[in-house]
Amino acid sequence: MADRTIIRFEHVTKQYDDDPAVLNDVSFEIERGKFYTLLGPSGCGKTTILRLIAGFIEPSKGKIYFNGKVINNLPANKRQVNTVFQDYALFPHLNVFENVAFGLKIKKMKKSDIEEKVKEALRFVNLAGYEAREIREMSGGQRQRVAIARAIVNEPEVILLDEPLSALDLKLRTEMQYELRELQRRLGITFIFVTHDQEEALAMSDEIFVLNEGKIQQSGTPTDIYDEPINRFVADFIGESNIVPGKMIRDFLIEFNGKQFECVDGGFHPDESVEAVIRPEDLQITTPEQGKLQVRVDSQLFRGVHYEICCFDEDGNEWLVHSTKKAVVGDNIGLTFDPEAIHVMRFGETEEEFDKRLEAYEEAGHAK
Amino acid sequence: MQSRTRNIYLIPYVLWIVLFVIAPIVLVVYYSFFDIEGHFTLLNYKKFFTPVYLRMTLSSFWYAFLITVFCLLLAYPTALLLTKTKHKQLWLLLIILPTWVNLLLKAYAFLGIFGAFGPANALLETLGIGQKQLLFTDFSFVFTSVYIFIPFMILPIFNSLEELSPSFVDAARDLGASPWTTFRRVIFPLTLDGVKSGCQAVFIPALSLFMLARLIAGNRVITLGTAIEEHFLVTQDWGMGSTIAVFLIIAMAIIMILTGSRR
Amino acid sequence: MRAKRKLANVYLIVIFVILYAPIFYLMYYSFNSGGSMHDFKGFTLEWYKEVFHDTRLFIIVLNTLVIALLSAAISTILGVIGALAIQMLRKRQVKNSLLTLNNVLIVSPDVIIGASFLILFTIMGIKLGFISVLLSHIAFSVPIVVIMVLPKLQEMSPTLVDAARDLGANRWQVLSKVVLPFITPGIFAGFFMALTYSLDDFAVTFFVTGNGFSTLSVEIYSRARQGISLSINALSTLIFLFTIMLVVGYYFVNKKTGKSNGMGVRGR
Repeated sequence: MADRTIIRFEHVTKQYDDDPAVLNDVSFEIERGKFYTLLGPSGCGKTTILRLIAGFIEPSKGKIYFNGKVINNLPANKRQVNTVFQDYALFPHLNVFENVAFGLKIKKMKKSDIEEKVKEALRFVNLAGYEAREIREMSGGQRQRVAIARAIVNEPEVILLDEPLSALDLKLRTEMQYELRELQRRLGITFIFVTHDQEEALAMSDEIFVLNEGKIQQSGTPTDIYDEPINRFVADFIGESNIVPGKMIRDFLIEFNGKQFECVDGGFHPDESVEAVIRPEDLQITTPEQGKLQVRVDSQLFRGVHYEICCFDEDGNEWLVHSTKKAVVGDNIGLTFDPEAIHVMRFGETEEEFDKRLEAYEEAGHAK
Repeated sequence: MQSRTRNIYLIPYVLWIVLFVIAPIVLVVYYSFFDIEGHFTLLNYKKFFTPVYLRMTLSSFWYAFLITVFCLLLAYPTALLLTKTKHKQLWLLLIILPTWVNLLLKAYAFLGIFGAFGPANALLETLGIGQKQLLFTDFSFVFTSVYIFIPFMILPIFNSLEELSPSFVDAARDLGASPWTTFRRVIFPLTLDGVKSGCQAVFIPALSLFMLARLIAGNRVITLGTAIEEHFLVTQDWGMGSTIAVFLIIAMAIIMILTGSRR
Repeated sequence: MRAKRKLANVYLIVIFVILYAPIFYLMYYSFNSGGSMHDFKGFTLEWYKEVFHDTRLFIIVLNTLVIALLSAAISTILGVIGALAIQMLRKRQVKNSLLTLNNVLIVSPDVIIGASFLILFTIMGIKLGFISVLLSHIAFSVPIVVIMVLPKLQEMSPTLVDAARDLGANRWQVLSKVVLPFITPGIFAGFFMALTYSLDDFAVTFFVTGNGFSTLSVEIYSRARQGISLSINALSTLIFLFTIMLVVGYYFVNKKTGKSNGMGVRGR
């Protein structure tokens, strides 16, 4: 276990002067060779974590371990990590080759070795032959690749990427998502990727840390986080969701909209107030008679792959439905869903408690 | 529509340019071909290439160079440290404030400071070096000039340091560069434009300072500026004065081209 | 790490001390009854009395202020017109060459400006004195105003003018209701710069001023050449206080008008 861990945060807090902490008592572990994503809205502390790992800032409290050693005060230039910056930070007074060679030259590597390594790195990012170009002659996507080449050429154990795709247009961004993921597999080193784009996070990561207000809200694989968000923030931030207040009658039976539905969640107190999440794509349109919920279609938008249909039930709750079939605005329709589609969230539950509950009722489920 | 609307603003502005920019330069060049009696002559140029004037030009350049170098050596660290202070705008304001004090008053202050019984000599005395003649030496001239020009060097360097994206510094550190290497390989090259405009703001006026030379250096330091002033206002030899001015203009143009940024 | 910080602070403090020492040195001895800039004998306001009783000096101060205000006002108008003219030009080349010509007077050494203006006024038959000094001050202030106003004009989105025209404004209304208000901070900064350039100028004035007319700088120069007189110290203390008031005023004007134009620096 210990040797798989490369970076560990222990109760790390970062605070500037008397302002509220940017990062508040955060602990986590990063394992070797995986693709991690720090996801959250701006100001959530994700970039702070990155800068702490890179060594540009020091924690106010807590310890940061790298390969088992505390690195709190180790200057950035002595760390085995390299960063791909949001604005790429390519040195404008150096050309592509000199930019990529920057780190190697500082290590006083032999000239012929530098040349070879830079060429290889550029080939790796599909920029062979661009050595003599000036940075200002490169397009956004190309700059992005130079920045990546400049980081990987130093053979770091960890690469940090600070929203590197945010400046690119949609098409290029999607392309680069594939490329980055592929690059990480080929290199086999740890990538820590910072983004506020949940689709990007879901598409690329092995593990996602969802952050908000200086705290990690939830961590896990993309499917874990998507299917079982721990709280309203995560459910709302990742994907689209219908969140309604409800009551657990008993385990595996929930009441909302004045009706009772079967579900697959357990470990609650009887009659506990909860919130239920149903993803829009898990709702199917049917006739009002057959539907578990009766709603009226308020508006709809064509999204290409599907229609996004906005409906309201009698109590005025909004229901978002993703359907490949068109609905008619003003119609009364029925909505139906499987028990698995309902995900129940407890108020104020921490990640630890959540995991424990999950384990407990799953065991109980097996015992039955 | 657009093309028909004439740019009437151009008229007064171009008039100003013609009258106060182009005409004076043309007149200076024109006058450089006349001697003191008003006859056309090339003698002024011939005279300029005699050892007396060449030596004067050389020493003028030498002093301007010294002043610029000392300014740069003192100003760069100051600017760099200023960018790292809290309330840097306030500190910057405090750097700028002395430039609002009339140059002559500052020069006058140094008359007292470097005087025989002034604080500079008092300091030398306590250091055990003993009283020295400080006023009317080239040392006092260079010192006073550096004092007067240093804010003009600090400012452009400070501005270019401020413009420098901090992520460049982060990137260099990230790639393994020590603070010194980061400075040498990234910060300094990327703020070269500021350094250049600072040098320009110091070197050109330093070439032509005549009041400082007169007040502080007595007549020990003769700059191109002093010579021009002397020819125009004392000996009334406008032809020779204009000739020196022509060379000063040429020097100025060369410096502008050399220190001009690529942008 | 901490030692380095300390060293850095010491360096900055030394620089600041050197920058301010001469100024405070001057001010300190303006209260010296001893009559010299060393050996502080005792406190006196005698030199200030002397300054205030000197009618010649009073007239010179008045001259200086009149020249400064007039030249700043006129050069601001000319400069704004110039900036508008440059902004309206379409061809890049013409624009750049006008800008280059504009900057000639900013980078030229004072001696050259003074000498060439002296020739110019002599040829044009303008008598050296108030008019020649005023004209030169206007002349060298115009490019500064242009430089301060032009960035504001460039900052202004062209759609702003389109919007005004779309809403029915004629050309004059576009200028007075949209463009001028937008560039007001630049105009203020330009006026202020022109004012201080004029107040501070010595070399150019020295060349083009005749016998009967003098400004403060020229007067200080001729007095300083005769050696130390503590009434100059008193005068400089007063000027310094006045300057600080101006700077504070400028600071607030800048703050009030929003975005700072960057604290201007006087050249030369």
